[in-house]
Amino acid sequence: MATLRLLARLTLVLSAYVLLPIVPIVHAQTVDDQIMIEGKTLFTGYLFTYDTWDEYWEGPLKRDNGNIGTLTMRTSAWYVNYGVTDRLNVMATLPYVRTRASQGVLREMQGLQDFGVAAKYKLFSVPSPIGVLSTFAAGSAGLPMTDYTPDFYPLSIGSNSRRASGRFTVNLHTKPGFFVTGSSAYTWRGDVTLDRPYYFTDGQLFLTSEVDMPNVFDYTLSGGYLRRGLMASVSYSQQRTLGGGDIRRQDMPFVSNRMNADRIGGMVMWALPKKLRFLSVQGAYSYTLRGRNVGQTSTVTGGVMYTLPLHGRPTR
Amino acid sequence: MTRMLARVIGAVSIGMLALSSASPRLTAQGGDANAGDWRMIVLTGPTQIAVPPPGQTGSVDYQAELTAIRNAQNRLTKAQRASIDYWSRGSVIRWNEILMELVANSDLPPAPNPDGSYPAPDANNPFADPRFPFANPPYAARAYSYVSVAQYEALKVAWYYKYLYNRPAPSQVDQGIRALLPVNAPAYPSEDAVVSGVTAELLKLLFPTEVEKITLKAGEHRQAALLSGRASSTDLAAGLALGQAVAAVFTARAGTDGMRTAGGSPALWQALADAASARGEVPWHSMETPPRPPMLPVFGSVRAWMMTPAEIIQERPGPPPSTSSPLMAQELAEVKNTVKNLTREELAIALKWSDGLSSPTPPGHWNFIAAPYFQKTGWSEVRMARAYALLNMTMHDAAVACWDTKFTYFNPRPSQLDPELKTALGLPNFPSYTSGHSTFSSAAAEVLSYLIPGEAAYFRAQMEEAAISRLYGGIHYRSDIEVGKDHGARIGGYTVRFARLDGADGR
Repeated sequence: MATLRLLARLTLVLSAYVLLPIVPIVHAQTVDDQIMIEGKTLFTGYLFTYDTWDEYWEGPLKRDNGNIGTLTMRTSAWYVNYGVTDRLNVMATLPYVRTRASQGVLREMQGLQDFGVAAKYKLFSVPSPIGVLSTFAAGSAGLPMTDYTPDFYPLSIGSNSRRASGRFTVNLHTKPGFFVTGSSAYTWRGDVTLDRPYYFTDGQLFLTSEVDMPNVFDYTLSGGYLRRGLMASVSYSQQRTLGGGDIRRQDMPFVSNRMNADRIGGMVMWALPKKLRFLSVQGAYSYTLRGRNVGQTSTVTGGVMYTLPLHGRPTR
Repeated sequence: MTRMLARVIGAVSIGMLALSSASPRLTAQGGDANAGDWRMIVLTGPTQIAVPPPGQTGSVDYQAELTAIRNAQNRLTKAQRASIDYWSRGSVIRWNEILMELVANSDLPPAPNPDGSYPAPDANNPFADPRFPFANPPYAARAYSYVSVAQYEALKVAWYYKYLYNRPAPSQVDQGIRALLPVNAPAYPSEDAVVSGVTAELLKLLFPTEVEKITLKAGEHRQAALLSGRASSTDLAAGLALGQAVAAVFTARAGTDGMRTAGGSPALWQALADAASARGEVPWHSMETPPRPPMLPVFGSVRAWMMTPAEIIQERPGPPPSTSSPLMAQELAEVKNTVKNLTREELAIALKWSDGLSSPTPPGHWNFIAAPYFQKTGWSEVRMARAYALLNMTMHDAAVACWDTKFTYFNPRPSQLDPELKTALGLPNFPSYTSGHSTFSSAAAEVLSYLIPGEAAYFRAQMEEAAISRLYGGIHYRSDIEVGKDHGARIGGYTVRFARLDGADGR
């Protein structure tokens, strides 16, 4: 059961929490759901994500680009979560990202992206006539693992910016297994250093390599069913970058652009029965409804996860 | 906090005052009292522009001007102090920074029409989409040069009249007026008004959609000169009229220098391709989707500053390796291999010198490189203008000569000859041979090494890096780079030879 719940966390993040540049970045830690892994349990696995778009928003203007064609981003991520206690989980993720444009001359990029760590703490649960109301607080950080360039959008594999987030989550879980969850986060982003001595963005020429990155606010609303070996949910999320300039007409995107996205998503996960109960599989899909300075992304995710109890008790 | 402050200082914004208290000030050194005798480039001589004698400093009118300055100094606002501080870095150097921003702001190509064609920016309808201008490297090279040469000519005229009339600055006449900016020369006509006047007129011509920002900045510049006690209102009025009169001469030249027809026509584009085919070569074609017309194919016929049309042709390099030759196959393989095995350091160099969309372009990059070294010299304003004029004249000439070469040979880019060759930089939409970066940089390094010989090794190293960056980016063959460097050095020589004999060369 714990396995399944943890899977839910991963998928929700992929559909909701992602800071979406024109190429979405995977933050394969799901700190935005209601699920806690039990104490002294290790949960780890592999996720593959396939993002693709062939239209993007150039500021408010939606367009295609014959010099990009279809942009794809493939992400392979290793993920681990450890239950320190039933109320405190720590998690980490390490994604390897590869981007490619189907048309034009620009070369593909690939590499290890950002190491993510997070801690999630269950604050309190209160029973109510319709179900149990729970609240959670989480903090997370992202640390670029390689000096990949953030100056080659839309093909850069990420923004190469250090990040720290604070998140708050509320969940209502009913007895029959239906639930609703709301989660919101504020993300601080560190300066980015370019290889060039100046850059133009948001109407100004900056005579420095240092780019001030605007912070990001996001929230996700989700609802679904979670009981025994099955979880299914749908979600709606908004991401708002709190500053930054638009991509100008016929310009290249820039790392500090105001990247906004409204997305819908759905996911299913299933824990395998009997002797394979330590394994679970998941699949998810999400789609960008509206955006600004991002691609209209379709995202498919699949993953396999393994649960390893370290507490010596029988698994619940 | 310090970092944030540094960024504020680093941000150049038109209409925004940088709080640059740490910036070194332009100081008087020698004063260059004879600058009125220095050789002219476009004007026939300083008296081509008439500047009437100023009124007596004892006159009632002039005393009223002083009173106005005294009163203004007694109630200086924070913004006015910041403005004086901003302009204390030097008029020419500040306007060069502003120009870099204007270029970057306009460095965007037109977006394609739904039918796959491309609209052309229209100087007579600059606010339409696409906006005028598209400040690509040749356009930018020309813009930097017009502004710099016009400033230089106008300041030489100003220096002639300054030392003819020898009117002191308000802060020298009136003990009650503080000198908030250094006084380096007689005040009439005001060098601040000359520079703001000539520059604003040319910038409005070159970047017409930015008229509001340009006008406000120029007004602020003159106001700072007045509030600082460096110029009275009659000093400013005479300087402004002089600057505008010089701008009119350059505006006339710009109207007939060949820029208007540099875009060519569909028939001409086809003729270039047919001529290359007739020579047995693979002709260049646009790798963009939809295919974009080549960038300014007739820019090679635009009037240069230090080279005659015959000299442009005379210096034109010989042909590139034939597209069907083993040498070309070998060079193509080198490009492909380089991009495929690109190190992070090589990528950093490629990106450092990318100077693509929304950039000040390669000529702007060399202005940026030169600025701190120019500033350290402590040159007078007119000598500073000379340095920028020499630098930007040679880069304009490099643009003309390089574009002449590119469209003479119409040679394909590496990724055209090998569609599997992908680039680490956006692919410029014009023929490969020779490399613009290499030509610009080599000409610039030549002139900068003349101006500041102690830094010649540094300028040369920057030039080499700029040139090879295009191989790392996968957009140029080695012969484009090597021949471009050699070509650029010869172009730079024309400007250096002029400079050695212009009356300002102290050595």
